[in-house]
Amino acid sequence: MTFRTNYTVNKTTRFRLLSEDQKARIFRGVIKTLNDTGANVFHEEVREILGKNGCKVDGKRVRIPPEVVRDALASLPPTTTLFSWDGNEEMCYVEPGRSYFGPGPTPPNFNDPDTLERRPYLRKDATTVARVCDALPNIGYVQSLGSISDVTNGLADVYEFADMIQNTRKIIMNWAFNVENLEDEHRIGIVMAGGEEAFRQRPNFIHYSEPISPLTSDFDAIGKCLYCARHRIPQVYTPCSIGGATVPASHAGQIIVAMSESMVGVVLSQIVNPGTCIIIGGVQSILDMRRTIYSYGAPELGIMSAAFTEMLNYVGLPMYSTSGCTDTKKMELQSGIEAAFSIHMAMLSGANFVHDNGYTESGITGDIFQTVMDDEIIGMSRLIAGGVEVNEETLAVEEICNVGPGGHYLYEDHTMKWFRHHWQPTLMDRNSYEDWDSQGRLTMKDRIVKKTRDIIENYEGPESRVPEEAKKDIQKVLDKAEERVRSQS
Amino acid sequence: MKSVMPDMQPMNQTVQETPVFQVLTEDQIEQIYFAALEVLERVGSRVHHDEALELFRNCGDAVVGDDKRVRVTASLVERALKSYPRKITLKGRNGKRSVALQKDHVYFGTGSDLPFTYDRKTGERRRTTYNDVVNAARVVDYLPNFDFFMSHGIVGDAPNPQTYDRHQFMAMLEGCTKPYVVTSVDGEGLEDLWKMACLFQGGEGEFRLNPMFVAYIEPISPLTNDQSAVEKLLFAAEKGIPAMYTPCPSSGATAPATIAGMLVQSLAETLLAIALCYLKRPGMPLIMGGVTTVMDMRTTTYSYGAPEMSLASAANTDISKWLNLIMFSTGGCSDSKQVDEQAAIESTISNLTAFLSGANLVHDVGYIDSGVNASLESLVMNDEIIGMVRQVGKGIPTDEAHLALKVIDEVGPGGEYVTHDHTYEHWKEWFLPKLMDRSDWETWNAEGGKTMLDRVNEETQRILDTHEPEPIDDNIRKDLKAIIDDADKRHSK
Repeated sequence: MTFRTNYTVNKTTRFRLLSEDQKARIFRGVIKTLNDTGANVFHEEVREILGKNGCKVDGKRVRIPPEVVRDALASLPPTTTLFSWDGNEEMCYVEPGRSYFGPGPTPPNFNDPDTLERRPYLRKDATTVARVCDALPNIGYVQSLGSISDVTNGLADVYEFADMIQNTRKIIMNWAFNVENLEDEHRIGIVMAGGEEAFRQRPNFIHYSEPISPLTSDFDAIGKCLYCARHRIPQVYTPCSIGGATVPASHAGQIIVAMSESMVGVVLSQIVNPGTCIIIGGVQSILDMRRTIYSYGAPELGIMSAAFTEMLNYVGLPMYSTSGCTDTKKMELQSGIEAAFSIHMAMLSGANFVHDNGYTESGITGDIFQTVMDDEIIGMSRLIAGGVEVNEETLAVEEICNVGPGGHYLYEDHTMKWFRHHWQPTLMDRNSYEDWDSQGRLTMKDRIVKKTRDIIENYEGPESRVPEEAKKDIQKVLDKAEERVRSQS
Repeated sequence: MKSVMPDMQPMNQTVQETPVFQVLTEDQIEQIYFAALEVLERVGSRVHHDEALELFRNCGDAVVGDDKRVRVTASLVERALKSYPRKITLKGRNGKRSVALQKDHVYFGTGSDLPFTYDRKTGERRRTTYNDVVNAARVVDYLPNFDFFMSHGIVGDAPNPQTYDRHQFMAMLEGCTKPYVVTSVDGEGLEDLWKMACLFQGGEGEFRLNPMFVAYIEPISPLTNDQSAVEKLLFAAEKGIPAMYTPCPSSGATAPATIAGMLVQSLAETLLAIALCYLKRPGMPLIMGGVTTVMDMRTTTYSYGAPEMSLASAANTDISKWLNLIMFSTGGCSDSKQVDEQAAIESTISNLTAFLSGANLVHDVGYIDSGVNASLESLVMNDEIIGMVRQVGKGIPTDEAHLALKVIDEVGPGGEYVTHDHTYEHWKEWFLPKLMDRSDWETWNAEGGKTMLDRVNEETQRILDTHEPEPIDDNIRKDLKAIIDDADKRHSK
């Protein structure tokens, strides 16, 4: 029976870095930067579109007045749903507070799952990454963790997507060298969805492309953005901003520049196709001044990403954030610390798509073992962010009174029921010292390697369920792409 | 003459100088609090101490059963709650008032009494000794992100288990000048430790003003207060010694399997002590505490790495702030048997969560093996983690200089910031890692391909080889020895 009224609860934890006044002030900075400074756009057609729709175009420079920004923000979709390729499952909702963690795109190297040595990324690795990510419960969407080195030059992106989408039902975030390759990938998405209309209704990938800090949209990047907008393909348009190098060293200044350069894509997309899904954010970190490394482990990455997420929530845009990455060359303590720090910050901030889980060596080497470790950390972090459920049943006053001083709860029905809600580790060891000793004194890294190889060997992915027809059609897309590249060279 | 306009800051601006983090709403906290009062009215808590039972019998607001079960009214608890100080400043033995326990000030420190230590030479675990405690004390004395010290290990080679606490405190005094949290065998032990501390502070009155330590005392969950715990509590109340009464419930075994239920029970345990100390002497500096975690159902381990521990501790901290009590929380600890990726991850998650919650004393930093094993390396690793965590506390400044709009316009699209003065002025605000590697592949290999554990080991050895804390005055040392000898003599009979 309920006697209480006026009861407000935190269904999840609440975390914030910025006050409303601070968000308003940073946003005014974005508005001013877009209006006064503007951005360079290396794409004539895009400049024309922007010019016709209220932007001021001066050579390459495009300045965007506040009312144009306002209209673009007003036409963003409040929610977008993404589907598994078979169309049977709603995989992601792009809306505030929904967090999906995944790997990142395009490092040149990969940590070989057999030898544990760093080597160039190969075609087979894309399949491995897709299968392992499909198996990991806390990975919400998939990227490749590399750039394929052993296919025709200029087609790494298309092969990667063709292979990956057949090996996971989770949403894939693909990338492309240029619009032509993006068209190939679009066709593959359509094949998997079962037709153009099906794909429009149930999109199965998100496209990722990057403006360049500071305030530059190059031809390919903004061209892809335009293509996605026209075809209503959900897209990410985010820079990798380097604090102290390509953006200011102060966090607020960095967020203003990064947000402004992505707003070019937001404005373009909403002009071309109002209501199309676009996600911004990106890698926000600093240049280590002693080592001149773009750091993927600095605490500033987690802090700025969390603040950026709040800014985007404030204006109604989804956030593409970063976590689970590290500056280390081999898995060790530092990998764990840096990954845990950034994952927990991203989780508490409620970022939408959180990428780079599995990046090592400051983004130079993809490591699926790191992704597997991150999966465990995400699970821990998600439990904490899930908050505490407070109601009559969970308060357990009856049970406490029944058990009484000096008793125990082991055989209570309440315990049997709620024990199941405790987080179950898969990689964290909670054995006694004696059991740990007798079982071979494994480190967490040993257990990660074992679990990952077990998935690679034994996990049955969705590949066998891909229709033969679709496989053939995808091969046709690849053959055509090969032909095109041959004719161009 | 040129007219100069004043700096026109925008008006009516509220700024988040630090992050805000909350688990519970005020409504949820109230529900937990009311439930805890309900438990104290209905079933109460067992108290194995005659004077305490007498205090309850005579107060008119409690019913004492034949089975020593004490049930108390909400009225008594609420009166008692109003009597506790909201601020306690701890002073190190070097005279520095370094730990200001007040709302949302966060300090990190070790845990205590670990039976085993990893031997740095053999890599094998063995019983902890006096020297191990001195070494841990020296390491904590050196590490900048540690603010207080608990013994880390237990002095296992003391002449008599009944007096080990005096020897342990001596080892702590030897190695560390920062404020302490101390454990004691019983009321008499606590009295000796208090006398030892008073030697540094010039007497009882000064100790009350600037206490050098907090006494660690724990009830036994569920709802049981043993004789020695109550003895210590009453002595602390009498002398105005800050003390924490810290339940260590194990969700699913000695507390309900729900976090809310575990918090209700541990709050009931705390509130009973709140009432008791008030009856003894209103106004003692009592600190709320709790190592609130789960029992792992596969291994029956009391988990120091579980995410539930971080979540429940942060929720408990929300409750402590609502009650205007200072909070003793937990972080930086792990179930891993060694300093590996697991220890790194569990330490990071728990330190970050504890810091964001605003807990005042975050203890057990450096525990591995679920509170069984002491490792110096884990302390050194955690110092770096806490440094990163504290970086979050700096927030996102949004003044003119940090917004950098003029700089952004000046550099423009396609420009660079490396050579700009603005970068030079602001990059020093970033976290400066000491043990984290940010080199590229070639440099890292050329420099020997070291892991963080290698660097942690080197740093630990360097601290042990070089760091000597401020020495103890010879006269005080003599008096300390006299107190310890006297205790040993009393207990050798």
